[in-house]
Amino acid sequence: MIHPPGDEILEQLWYAKEEGRKVTAIASLRLNGESEHAAGDLITQKLIHTGETIELLPEGEERARGIVRRHRLAEILFAQVLEVDAHEAERSACELEHMLSERVVDRVCTFLGHPPNCPHGKPIPPGSCCRIYTRQVEPLITRLVDLPLGATGTVVFIAPRSVQRLNRLAAFGVVPGSEVRLIERRPSVVLACGQTSIAIEDEIGREIYVRPVA
Amino acid sequence: MSQLAASCHRPATLPGAEPRLLLIGNPNVGKSLLFGCLTKRYVTVSNYPGTTVEITSARATIAGESRLVIDTPGTNGLVPQSDDERVARDILLSSPGADVMQVGDMSNIRRTLLLSLQIAEHEMPFTLCLNMSDEAKQRDAEVDPVALAAAIGIPVVATSALRRWNLERLKREAIRPARSRISAEYPAAIEEAIAEILEVLDGSPDLATRGIALSILSGDETLKRFLPEESLDEFDAIRERAQARVTQPLSWTIVNARLNAVDRILGRAAVVQSLPRSSFREWFGALTMHPVWGWPFLLGVLYIAWLFVGKFGAGIVVNFVENTIFQQHVNVWTIKLVDFVARFPHQHPAVGGVIGAAYVGAAHLSTAQQFARFFHDLLVGPYGVVTMALTYAIAIVLPVVITFFTFFGVLEDSGYLPRLAVMLNRLFRRMGLNGKAVLPMVLGLGCDTMATLTTRILETKKEMVIVTLLLALGVPCSAQLGVIMAMLGPLGIGLASVWVGVTVGTIFLVGWLAAKLVPGKAGDFILEIPPIRTPKLSNILIKVLARTEWYLKEAVPLFVVGTLLLYLLDFLHLLTKLQRLLAPIVVGGLGLPAQASNAFLIGFLRRDYGAAGLYAMQKAGALNPVQTVVALTVITLFIPCVANFLVMLKERGTKTGLAIAGFIFVYSFGIGWLMNFAFHLVHMA
Repeated sequence: MIHPPGDEILEQLWYAKEEGRKVTAIASLRLNGESEHAAGDLITQKLIHTGETIELLPEGEERARGIVRRHRLAEILFAQVLEVDAHEAERSACELEHMLSERVVDRVCTFLGHPPNCPHGKPIPPGSCCRIYTRQVEPLITRLVDLPLGATGTVVFIAPRSVQRLNRLAAFGVVPGSEVRLIERRPSVVLACGQTSIAIEDEIGREIYVRPVA
Repeated sequence: MSQLAASCHRPATLPGAEPRLLLIGNPNVGKSLLFGCLTKRYVTVSNYPGTTVEITSARATIAGESRLVIDTPGTNGLVPQSDDERVARDILLSSPGADVMQVGDMSNIRRTLLLSLQIAEHEMPFTLCLNMSDEAKQRDAEVDPVALAAAIGIPVVATSALRRWNLERLKREAIRPARSRISAEYPAAIEEAIAEILEVLDGSPDLATRGIALSILSGDETLKRFLPEESLDEFDAIRERAQARVTQPLSWTIVNARLNAVDRILGRAAVVQSLPRSSFREWFGALTMHPVWGWPFLLGVLYIAWLFVGKFGAGIVVNFVENTIFQQHVNVWTIKLVDFVARFPHQHPAVGGVIGAAYVGAAHLSTAQQFARFFHDLLVGPYGVVTMALTYAIAIVLPVVITFFTFFGVLEDSGYLPRLAVMLNRLFRRMGLNGKAVLPMVLGLGCDTMATLTTRILETKKEMVIVTLLLALGVPCSAQLGVIMAMLGPLGIGLASVWVGVTVGTIFLVGWLAAKLVPGKAGDFILEIPPIRTPKLSNILIKVLARTEWYLKEAVPLFVVGTLLLYLLDFLHLLTKLQRLLAPIVVGGLGLPAQASNAFLIGFLRRDYGAAGLYAMQKAGALNPVQTVVALTVITLFIPCVANFLVMLKERGTKTGLAIAGFIFVYSFGIGWLMNFAFHLVHMA
């Protein structure tokens, strides 16, 4: 994976600041070998400042913010929506954080419902897309079965194992854009769509992704 | 048209030439009730999807014109997902020129219009009836029929079939309706494919509609037999080309486009329907399928069923009708009457002041006297039509049939049955089924024959075979259930639970094994849960009446036939020979008296009748408690009645039907033998 070696340093400095740690030496950051040599470049590009402690300069902070944002959004995408296992999700997120364009990131962020936190509970730096919806900070795409009982959500997408399922759900009006309410999770998943209540297989309940509606 | 009619076997049984009025619509919207209102003919009406699985038709005069009104199973779309939906679609396709009336639930306008759009695409003229408008009002989901009519260009009539409201208006609009011009906007790839298909179908004007083209593109396999065979490959090619041009599956793209169109129509008609408000009904409905409270509720329902059907029906009412009405009055009078008409020297000894069928008479009779005795025995002998067949049918079975159907009717109309399916889905998964199969299984407690027909609501062949097997094997019908309850009563809780355990265990064991052995897989559990509704007394009474009438017509003649058979066998002295022939099984294997063979013989005709025979033996003291349980279990698991057997052959095919019957025969006696064996071991220990 080729990416700017300095990214790693910027990212770690962001984490340190988030946690309130002071960084006194580049060597104290958890970096892989090649990145250590990049510190000099960052200084000449006026992204970081080294004195008693190492600080992010405004431009460096902006770049770090973008990296962390991409990383944490990617984590949600992989871990929660695509259900990739945690290790794999983390690794893929590390790769993606360096390559997505801002436009794509904003799309992903919108798709996920502008999530405020990553799966580990760390804040995701908001992007320009999030600011348009200042009121709507809570939502995140979840599986239908993960909605609280009685909560309503808008179907964002359905990822079923068979096309037939899609068609049968569609016959009841359950398609992306429809509002559904979770009525019961056990012993079977029951949802309401319009004035119709439908009982569905647990598995199907996990294949319907919704954005909770307040 | 001729080609259509010839290739479609089911509708061919309908009279062909008459103008038709076709009721079509989503499941559980009240088509059957409306059918009853229009034709004055009763068809079963309940509150769960799938009550109607067959086509019913009746002649009626609608707004001064004669029509053959046809009721169809509910369907969510014109690309069928199950057998009952196919039945509805087939009748629509084979009725070109018919007046179509789409019946919809006003509260569910989006789903209603999704179907309207498809009917319009099939270029059928139709009226839209928005039924259950009273309920929609209650649920705050009212739709203005005038605005909607303007938006879709055909008459829209709001009705309430339950309250008989606005039906005259509906009848006036139903004749020669207009064609709706509503349509959906599909992606260019689909539009071009439609044009290509229509070009191929150019020669068959009945088929060349956008609707058919879209069904072909949706990959509807069931449509094949309507299509010209030489074009099938071409259609496949067109579909594949179109699929390559859209990212999502074609069928899904089509439904999405349709729902978009529906939402546009709703916008034009200014219809806003939100999710249901929370209300007592919704709260109660949720309680019945609550992960914790749902179970005590289910137990409560079973307990009330036992109190009402078991204690009251099979206990108090049966006792009264059998002991008081029949044995002290009806039978006595009939015996006296027959004795008066058919004279030969004999005497009925009175037991407790009441005479019965048993009698002592002279050994040597003249020919005329012998003839009189034959007539006498035929009616009031030990195997007499009155003293045996009618006593069993009317006194023992009928009270239970009536009480059971009353209770069952309340359950059906309340909307509890689909909620039971929700509760039992996981359990049924183990048997290669899903919760949907709960409906035919519970229906089997009413009548296994009807329930076997209801397997059409299931999606896969595997499920249909398993449910048919379990119904025939382990689900006693109401008539039999009554006799069983009456017999279990005196046995005490211990032996009664042996019967319950073996029967329920059999259903799970055989279901579990069948899940492994029958090839294929279970379909998805997707089931509409209708709202909880307060059962209407009149509907329940009508339903009980209709089902009781059906029982009297269906079962009683078989009871009489079975009795005549026994009587003839007895008269020709073949009965004792048969009993001796069966002795190794009945006496040796099951440990029962030889006389029990009679019960199993008539059990071939109807197993409830067989059970009634055992009941009589138990009452006469011919069976001890252990023998009673063994005999009862065998007759419970025994081959179902002749009617069920025939439906089984028809629905599942001769091979599968015979295999099921063969298995049941061996299994039921095998279990009886095992039980007898186990009881002996316990006894010796």
